Amino acid sequence: MSAAEPTLADDRGTAARRDSAPISRRPSSRLLRSELRLIAGRRRNQMGLLVLAAVPVLIAVAVRISSPRQGRGPDFVSSITSNGLFVPLAALSVELGLFLPLAIAMLAGDAVAGEANLGTLRYLLTVPVGRTRLLVTKYASLVIGALWGVAVVVLAGAAAGVALFGTGPMLTLSGTEISFGSAVWRVVLVGLYVAVGLAALAAVGLFISTLTEQPLAATVALMIFTILSWIADSVPQISWLHPWLLVDQWMAFGDLLRDPPFWDNIAQGLRVDLAYAVVFGLLAWARFAGKDITS
Amino acid sequence: MSFFSDHPRSRWVLPVAAVGVIGATALTVNQAASADSGLPARTAAQLLADVRSANVSSLSGTVVQTSDLGLPDLPGIGGSGALGSASSSLTSLVSGTHTWRIWLDGPTRQRLALIGANGESDVIHNGSDIWLWSSADKTAVHHRQDTTGARAGSTGTKLPSGVPGALPSGAPRTPDEAAAAALALMGKDTSVTTSGTASIAGRSAYELVLTPKDRSTLVGAVRIAIDSQEHVPLRVQVYSTKLTNPAFEVGFTAVDFATPDVRQFAFTPPAGTTVTESDRPTAPKGGAGTNPAPGEPSAPSLPTMPGAPKVTGSGWSTVVVAPFTLPKPTSGSGTAAGSAAQLTGLLKALPTASGTWGSGHVLQGTLFSVVLTDDGRVAVGAVPADLLYAALATK
Repeated sequence: MSAAEPTLADDRGTAARRDSAPISRRPSSRLLRSELRLIAGRRRNQMGLLVLAAVPVLIAVAVRISSPRQGRGPDFVSSITSNGLFVPLAALSVELGLFLPLAIAMLAGDAVAGEANLGTLRYLLTVPVGRTRLLVTKYASLVIGALWGVAVVVLAGAAAGVALFGTGPMLTLSGTEISFGSAVWRVVLVGLYVAVGLAALAAVGLFISTLTEQPLAATVALMIFTILSWIADSVPQISWLHPWLLVDQWMAFGDLLRDPPFWDNIAQGLRVDLAYAVVFGLLAWARFAGKDITS
Repeated sequence: MSFFSDHPRSRWVLPVAAVGVIGATALTVNQAASADSGLPARTAAQLLADVRSANVSSLSGTVVQTSDLGLPDLPGIGGSGALGSASSSLTSLVSGTHTWRIWLDGPTRQRLALIGANGESDVIHNGSDIWLWSSADKTAVHHRQDTTGARAGSTGTKLPSGVPGALPSGAPRTPDEAAAAALALMGKDTSVTTSGTASIAGRSAYELVLTPKDRSTLVGAVRIAIDSQEHVPLRVQVYSTKLTNPAFEVGFTAVDFATPDVRQFAFTPPAGTTVTESDRPTAPKGGAGTNPAPGEPSAPSLPTMPGAPKVTGSGWSTVVVAPFTLPKPTSGSGTAAGSAAQLTGLLKALPTASGTWGSGHVLQGTLFSVVLTDDGRVAVGAVPADLLYAALATK
């Protein structure tokens, strides 16, 4: 942001007035920045980030106090003591089941349904940007929110882990050891992979959010979608359905911790993520662009 | 844009079209592209000669094995369940879907990694060292062998002959191994034909079809896909007469015939690992050393079988009847006792049957059947249970 630019108002009304200057062709990030400012400013989102950050710290402290029993649970947890970077990995595998999708569900519920509920969506639509661009901006802010949430988990976990367990070499699932430097890159890749999955979930959430004017209904509906997906993914009798489920390959990030990394499942996961993002993004667009804004 | 403004409902066409495109793409990619690929036709005999003369000493790739043998679902035996810790164990090969990565570099260096949901088991053969690594319990078992390489060269194949003895399972593990075993079974009992070409792991391949002439066997057909350039079997499918999909399938999903990086074969036990030194090159968890042929998967190797087995029938419908006693659950220690107890529980859960031959428990799989009689005999064959009853009746 350059110094010459006026500071953005937090209030949608003034933001709309400022934007009603003659339309310039140059794409402006002002709408996105205003959106991100709204997301970051909400007290419930700040509390949510605190919860996300608390889990890895909790895991690290608990493991520090009492060593985990060998051979139980995900293989990450028993490796924490050798390298602090396993803390963010263990935290991600724990939070991916509920907390991270819940964070996306909260943001997605607020994105369209929340604005409609507050009556601010009307004002937002008076801004001379098309509905399509408004929706794209909303989705971009959700994607950034997903990255944000994952980054908080990873950074809090890495900080707590390195502080308590140090920076030893990382033991891969293949039984080899890699240096701390390349381990950092593996963890960054894991974070990006998880964030892509959450971004695809955000597209589903955005579509649901355009269907209702109750943000709580949108949030609950997306959580039901997520949990039903997890349940369906764990029933072996319907294994033909599993490759089509969004969450099916979410936990495949462990494949990045093999030596050499195993890409097949990661690629399959990214394909599914992309398919969900495209289909539900288009559904959200079809719904939102033709929707009557009544409140 | 104006079109969509005039016809708001037409917007819904786009997401529907996206679903259609994605679905169609996924289905066509999953279908084996069996259209003609411009390969010259080859007879079955030529293909067999190609396979014998294949000279591939190094490759790396990913192998996926699926089996639907009709075995009862049991916790701990299941394959790709959500509880991933079990599926990376080397003893869990019996059912479900499994993914392997293999690296081969001549007779002295091989590595095989079984990919589990949250873990991995590796067998690494490098010169005189054989390492077995399990990420689930962070253990490594170390075997030393003579550097003469007698073991590696003994089976005559170039492909992973150093590893099989260490793996406890009756199932063939690589396409090459499975094809060799299937080819050994051929003869007057089998008609061998070719059926065009297939595309496997991005490579074009010929398909060889082995059909038992004997109609009484459960094996419907064995299809072997052979790489058109390297002449290495890329996929083996065993069809049951009971199923439309293959009952057993092992094949490459990715393969590269370049020499793998030497780094893949280096293994140093990481700190904090329990290392067991073993002088005898035997399996760590009570497995059989030898490898039964497909179509004739033998009974689990844990029960002891005193006395000589009796063989009736021939070819694909061979039935083996042998004396049989269950191991005592208290004998042995650790995993062996646990496996014995699990096996006893499994047998108790099987359906019972009785007839002129006596009575006992019956396992009717898709490729083979097993009858365990109450008077201590076991009958095994790649045939329906009726033929086993007949074999048991003729004492």
